[in-house]
Amino acid sequence: MAYKPNLQRTWWLQHRFFRAYMLREATVLPLVFLLCSLLAGVYSLTSADAFIAWQGFMAKPWVIVIHTLALLASFYHALTFFQLFPRVMPIRLGDKSVPAVVMIAAQWSGTLTVIALFLWLFGGGL
Amino acid sequence: MSQRWQGLHLEPLWWGLFSAGGVCFAVFVPAAALVFGVLAPLGVIELNYLKLHVWYGSWWGLMFTGTVICLPAFHAAHRIRHGLHDLKVGGGCWSILICYGIAAIVSVSALWVWFNA
Amino acid sequence: MHKEIQIKRYLPEEHAEPFWQTFRVPYDETTSVLGALNYIKEELDSTVSFRWSCRMAICGSCGYMVNGIPKLGCKDFVRNYPAALRIEPLAHFTVERDLMVAMDEFLQHLEAVKPYLIAEPSEPHKPHRQTPAQLAKYKQFANCINCGLCYAACPQFGLNPEFVGPGAIALAHRYNLDSRDQGKAKRMPVLNTHDGVWSCTFVGFCSDVCPKGVDPAAAVNQGKVESAKSMLIQMFRGGA
Repeated sequence: MAYKPNLQRTWWLQHRFFRAYMLREATVLPLVFLLCSLLAGVYSLTSADAFIAWQGFMAKPWVIVIHTLALLASFYHALTFFQLFPRVMPIRLGDKSVPAVVMIAAQWSGTLTVIALFLWLFGGGL
Repeated sequence: MSQRWQGLHLEPLWWGLFSAGGVCFAVFVPAAALVFGVLAPLGVIELNYLKLHVWYGSWWGLMFTGTVICLPAFHAAHRIRHGLHDLKVGGGCWSILICYGIAAIVSVSALWVWFNA
Repeated sequence: MHKEIQIKRYLPEEHAEPFWQTFRVPYDETTSVLGALNYIKEELDSTVSFRWSCRMAICGSCGYMVNGIPKLGCKDFVRNYPAALRIEPLAHFTVERDLMVAMDEFLQHLEAVKPYLIAEPSEPHKPHRQTPAQLAKYKQFANCINCGLCYAACPQFGLNPEFVGPGAIALAHRYNLDSRDQGKAKRMPVLNTHDGVWSCTFVGFCSDVCPKGVDPAAAVNQGKVESAKSMLIQMFRGGA
């Protein structure tokens, strides 16, 4: 004499918090597309003709749209990941624990440094 | 001998790859998506084939492959596997085999390209 | 001021299925959700069943879903809800009657992780000293009152009732971090399983709903690091 409600597969639509969670998990979908594009890119480095064909593919408007989504997804992932990291691996220096804000700022500075490095490297510094 | 392996499974390995891939997705992938996915196709950045070819053949190319392709692939595989479970789809050995299997194929083929570059 | 309060009723001897019943309850700035429930029981319908005891967020008895979110009835106020309130039993548990759930589904998991000090007293009559730094390591996780809100917030527990779950793992972690405790080797085999720490996907809602500010999601994910270490050690040493 008891009942147990069955969790529907649409459970994550019921609450804002769960929708944000599913969005975080879904950031990997455009990432998968980007990974395939980049894999095709490194393959195309074997010949100049293949490289030009790859550039043609990358310049298609719908491809640029998905890659822009992948860029936004990577930022959203970074936002969530950097906040979770200090909770999973709290760092203690002596008696004091490093404040989460400091760890989050350090991680974002890492992301920005890599962007600056890539822009310099592939924007002519190579 | 039997006690040594009792209760062991591969979750720590998948989680380790997922975490490492998560760091790469947050730190290295934004730059790669911006440069190769958006700015270069829009013509803001001009990619030079010969210079790229030489650069990719160096150790930097291997680092690029690892941090931008291989580890994020395992990160994606792990999230897709658990996401399917969240949606009550699939599960068990098949999800594991398919998700990490594809990530492994992507990683090995990317590394193979680098070794032959 | 009056507020419309809907309660998900379940009276197995009268109806096979749960049903909603609406009450109109007077309230002011100080009326808690538990206070409103008690008004209903005393003035409107004495057949409504729900658990409660201390009225000060320490006994952990009065957990219900209020508008879909796990809350302690005594710590949540009617004034927080501009529209009507919908009160349901805690999610993911078996419901026995009205707002009462089978808490043993959580307590079994709690028992499995041995949430108590396991130590060989070297000198039984001496106090066991602990420095403030040693206390700080686990203090945050020691505030758990076993109310089960984190289980009702956890979709992984909803999908897989065998998952040891946020509350029990947070308490296992609390004792593993205690300098006086020597029971880690006994707890790790439970945490190491698929239904232990590895079922968690860091949804994180458990920490959001905790009425005592414990961060069970952090405990579970720190537990993954500990579990990975424990399994590596077992592999190289042979046996736990």
